[in-house]
Amino acid sequence: MITASKLSKSFAEVKALSELSFQVNSGEVYGLLGPNGAGKTTTLRILATLIEASSGTASVNGFDIKKDAEEVRKSIGVVNGGMGLYDRLTGKEVLYYFASFYGMSKAATDKRIKELDDLLDLGDTLSRRTTGFSTGMKQKIVIARAVLHDPPVIFFDEATSGLDIMARRAVMNFVKAYPSQSRAVIYSTHVMSEVEELCDRVGIIYKGKLIAEDKVEALIEQSGERNLENAFFKLIERSGSEMHT
Amino acid sequence: MRLSFILQVAKKEIVSTLRDRRAIVSSLLIPLLILPFVMLGLPLLLGGLFQREQSNVTEIAVTGLEYLPPELKTELEAQNISFSETSNLEALVRDGEYQVALSIPEGFNDKLESGEKVSLTLISKTGNLRSELNASKIGEAVSKFSQAIVTQRLSAAGLSAEILEPIGVETLDASSDAERSSGQLAWLIPFFIAMWTLTGGQVTALDATAGEKERGTLESLLVSPVRRVEVVVGKFLSTLTFGLSASVMAILGYLLGGALLRSIFLKQLDEGAEEVVQILGGSLQTTPLSIILLLLSALLLASLISALLISITMFARTYKEAQSYVAPLSFVMIIPAIGLQFSDFFGTNIIVYLVPILNALVLMDDIVKGQVAFLPLLATWASLIGFSVLFLDFAFRNFRREGVIFRT
Repeated sequence: MITASKLSKSFAEVKALSELSFQVNSGEVYGLLGPNGAGKTTTLRILATLIEASSGTASVNGFDIKKDAEEVRKSIGVVNGGMGLYDRLTGKEVLYYFASFYGMSKAATDKRIKELDDLLDLGDTLSRRTTGFSTGMKQKIVIARAVLHDPPVIFFDEATSGLDIMARRAVMNFVKAYPSQSRAVIYSTHVMSEVEELCDRVGIIYKGKLIAEDKVEALIEQSGERNLENAFFKLIERSGSEMHT
Repeated sequence: MRLSFILQVAKKEIVSTLRDRRAIVSSLLIPLLILPFVMLGLPLLLGGLFQREQSNVTEIAVTGLEYLPPELKTELEAQNISFSETSNLEALVRDGEYQVALSIPEGFNDKLESGEKVSLTLISKTGNLRSELNASKIGEAVSKFSQAIVTQRLSAAGLSAEILEPIGVETLDASSDAERSSGQLAWLIPFFIAMWTLTGGQVTALDATAGEKERGTLESLLVSPVRRVEVVVGKFLSTLTFGLSASVMAILGYLLGGALLRSIFLKQLDEGAEEVVQILGGSLQTTPLSIILLLLSALLLASLISALLISITMFARTYKEAQSYVAPLSFVMIIPAIGLQFSDFFGTNIIVYLVPILNALVLMDDIVKGQVAFLPLLATWASLIGFSVLFLDFAFRNFRREGVIFRT
């Protein structure tokens, strides 16, 4: 469903991604795990067609990110921790605004908002202007906006950062419930516990390179450690010494 | 480009701005009120002051009042002048205790009667309108009295007073009615239109570009199927809407000011004060054609300013940063407006009508004065459209640059 092949990206002198390749299958939650500045956000921005790769190719839901950028954008939803809302619009108006870009009729939008209200417990966030919303309330509308058009692919990029425990749980429950046979999720984070709980497979990114990729249990086993956090540090350490030699 | 997507983006920005009460007051209400204030307030204030000074009895400081000829005294009293005998006249006027002082030399009347050349000393403060106005009242009375003596002396010698002025000069004002009535403050109208277009447009432009980045909403917009060119054009249209609305409010304010002045206030002033009001531009004349031309010119100026605003504010990461980028634009309006006061010297040069912003100001000044010509109109409109397209293209190219969109 998502294929990245030798994606590289440089910002002036800095090489942010170096020949990154991975694949995400239908029905899968794929974790992108790495420290800050590893290249997770850059990878997702390339896949979301927000920025262009310096080299390499990728496809999302069967559409090439360069040739069919608009089809890619129709197929995805993006949630990240830094996303905000229009503070002079109500939650519902925000959703109507974005629905208009997906060609959704008013009736279809209303029906979908009702479904999302049940799923995310949007409550009065729909009728209130978003100014003064708590981070958790904002994130609910951000998620609703991202999945409004029922996209087959969703990218979560540090989506729980800054959320309290209840809001974080709500996001995680949503991610768990989302994948089906025709959907896929990329979940980018540096929080190990979230990866362990949510992801079917994990790709570990370090300094723009994919240094390991497998199921959580397999990564722990490969490293000879007892948990993902220790396995993560061991893999990074090993990769760092390989890069130096 | 899909029109429906462009309109959705524009509509959202318009709704957001309309819900910002401070923006509405500053960009729509104030321009509606400030032009009538300038047009009515300033001329009426000065006209009223003029009227008051003419009708009020002004006490002047005098030395040597006993030497003043009785006829001249009567003439001065007819001009509402009263006298206060005192000394140290210059200091009294300098300190503002008296507006004007008159020093009459010893034996003035006797010398005058014997046919000697005599002089009075009139003390006033140059640059002080009130002082100069009163000095002119005295000057007028003295001149009238002096003229009467000349006539009397010539008559005694069997000559006519006309002998002193063998050649008379008659002046004829060739200005059109609109030109004549446009007054000294007419240049303020294009200036206000430009300034309010900038003020009205920047409220939306800042929020739609830098504000969107600062809030973190730009990324969600760009991952939706709307194209970047549609986003840029939508934001441009909403900026244009508010820029134009503010300038229309300024024009309405100007029409309102003119109408109120003509129908109510002008009639209440006497002739002298009415003249002051006319000079300062209180009775501007407009025709339906001039209003249409003014509106079209304001629209094109608004489109240029909106494109400029979008292309500049797009670079900013935050609202505050964008404000600092936009602040110097006021000077871009003020400098041509200063030049506009001297437009008579360069008004005929077609190159002026190709310089963006300056051309719109000069053209609108021409329209207000009723002296617009076809070629300058065409050159100005073509230049404004051309530069708007250039700035929009610049904005669109930058909106595609990662360094601009994700600048941190």
